[in-house]
Amino acid sequence: MHDTVWFEIQGIPAVSIASEEFEDAARTQAKALGLNDARFVLVEHPIQDATDDEMRSKADAVIDEVIAALTR
Amino acid sequence: MTTILDPTDERVPVTRQLAARSAQLSGVLAMLDIAKPRGNVLLDQLEARLKARAPGIEVVRYTKPTFTKPAPDTLRNEIREKADLVVEGLAD
Amino acid sequence: MAALLPAFALRDTHGADRSYPSHRPALIAFVKEDCPTCDLIMPALDSLFRAVGESTEFFVVGQDRSGNLKLVERHRLAVSILDDSKLKVSFAYDIDTVPTVILTDGEGGERQRLIGFERGEWAQLADLLAQEAEHEGANIDWDAFPAWRPGCGSKSADPMIVDRLRAESENSPLRARRIEIAPADDEFEFMFDQGFSDGLPVVPPTPERVVHMLSGTRRDPQDVVAVVPPNMGQATVEKVAINAVLAGCKPEYLPVVIAALEAICTDEFNVHGVMATTMGASPLMVVNGPIRHRIGMNMGIGALGQGNRANATIGRALRLVLRNVGGARPGGTERSTLSNPMKFTMCFAEWEERSNWPPLHVERGFAREDSVVTIFPATSGPQLIVDQKSRTAAQVAGSIGLVMQGIHHPRSLTMDCVLVVCPEHVDTLATGNYSKADLRARIQEVTAVPLRERVADETTGEGFDAARAATMDAAALDRRVPKFLSEDMIHIVVAGADAGKFSGLFHGWVGGNMGSVPVSRKIEEM
Repeated sequence: MHDTVWFEIQGIPAVSIASEEFEDAARTQAKALGLNDARFVLVEHPIQDATDDEMRSKADAVIDEVIAALTR
Repeated sequence: MTTILDPTDERVPVTRQLAARSAQLSGVLAMLDIAKPRGNVLLDQLEARLKARAPGIEVVRYTKPTFTKPAPDTLRNEIREKADLVVEGLAD
Repeated sequence: MAALLPAFALRDTHGADRSYPSHRPALIAFVKEDCPTCDLIMPALDSLFRAVGESTEFFVVGQDRSGNLKLVERHRLAVSILDDSKLKVSFAYDIDTVPTVILTDGEGGERQRLIGFERGEWAQLADLLAQEAEHEGANIDWDAFPAWRPGCGSKSADPMIVDRLRAESENSPLRARRIEIAPADDEFEFMFDQGFSDGLPVVPPTPERVVHMLSGTRRDPQDVVAVVPPNMGQATVEKVAINAVLAGCKPEYLPVVIAALEAICTDEFNVHGVMATTMGASPLMVVNGPIRHRIGMNMGIGALGQGNRANATIGRALRLVLRNVGGARPGGTERSTLSNPMKFTMCFAEWEERSNWPPLHVERGFAREDSVVTIFPATSGPQLIVDQKSRTAAQVAGSIGLVMQGIHHPRSLTMDCVLVVCPEHVDTLATGNYSKADLRARIQEVTAVPLRERVADETTGEGFDAARAATMDAAALDRRVPKFLSEDMIHIVVAGADAGKFSGLFHGWVGGNMGSVPVSRKIEEM
């Protein structure tokens, strides 16, 4: 979130992608960095033992959210 | 958690504002891989999908030296110079 | 009827949530584990509970969580102990000493209070409880107890944490918006990022630091000290205190900052114009009176420079209020072309005792024993006046005048300026019995030149308007014109080391209704 907030401050729309487990951390970090609304998109846990196909379907599941985070 | 008291007249929200967004994806989109294992597979697929949805955009891939720290200033500045949009991932 | 005791709700060592009052007579005992007197009375307290706990409710309030468990275990207590490790209940009850035992009636009124341990008092209390419960009483061998033991200090009265407790209590004096900084984030970086700083690090204004700062004044924290331009933000005493914390002030400096803010937020001083001008003016603060000594201000060696906390942080606090409450920021409403380091801070005290002259505040109509801050609009300085050779008062005063001719521009006329006379120059002036008035007259004398010498020409376009001069006769052009429109625009103070023949000069800004007039304010005595 540090990077995302930094880019937002520079005027560049940015989005972080994180696993669901990161929701609280992402929210707290964004708040701590003074940007409560910093955008993040959550993908389904787990990650480390997911197959490539599973990873691709996680990406497909959030593509609309990622585009929305950068355009609205 | 440190709590401090606002030294200003409180007319401006303490939180920063998001960067302005345009309605369509356009320009250069930086994909910043934070270098956690397996994240690249998801980013590859996102890149393909983004290009399909917005053929006009150019995607440039970057990788952080380590996911444990914010990106170094040189990398941040390089992305700032080149990119109009940033997607960062994958944190888990 | 006695005032009711504060209500509270705490969790006890059995994990039960207990709240007071409960419409039953109650015994409230404040204890802490590491107090020998508390340890001494715990068995007696427990015996009382076993005997009369049915009719009287027992609230044993312990001040540290792990200590509570130790007490229960050590004395095999039947009575539970409530966890007040946050000390909020102890603070609300204004407990100075543990053990303190309070007996209340069913309505929550106080009947009796025992502080520390006095055997007779405790035995009487035990008898009273037994009588009212119509119980034979606890079988306590009071003879086994010492006659008297003092209590120990309550944790809630620890000066290290009392400010935090006051900040968090229900009648906290604080109203400012609270901003949370996550542990992962560097609080100093955060404050830079929020724009709270003048470019140097600022002290995080935590609630306890602000409460501590507010102890420096008797004024109500929500009193409005001034409405601060350009945003016309309301500077309450609390907001001034927050910025004083940022600047690094001690509480005893706060009344000076408050008086200074009152002084600059007046029509006469016109701080908006002072801060906004491209000339780059800044408030210059001179402090007079007994407070100089009380808060340890520097008026001697290096008085105009760094190294003294009061001088440095009082001036800085004033600037931070302008920045944060007023919204005056360089590049925003502050349009100074070059600016100058006085925009960080510029504050010193007059060494009143080092000359026979009336000090600045006395000249300005205050009593010598008043503490006063006077604020000038300064555009540059301190400019050095070097005179290491002159042996007479007239020569030293002459040197000062010659250097003053250069204020802003040698051809221009000028308004208010501040002259800081160093002790060695004071001594030389004293040999000629120079008063402040004599010094001013001498400055006007040596700066006076025929008007024709102030007219703009090929050398410089600055000066008296050439076209107008062309319409004037020789007599008018020969008239000698001094630097200052009026002698009372030369403000004289004494400061500096005993060694060194170097006085100082602060150039003013535009004076009068068009610009800014120096303003003095009396400082609250504490």
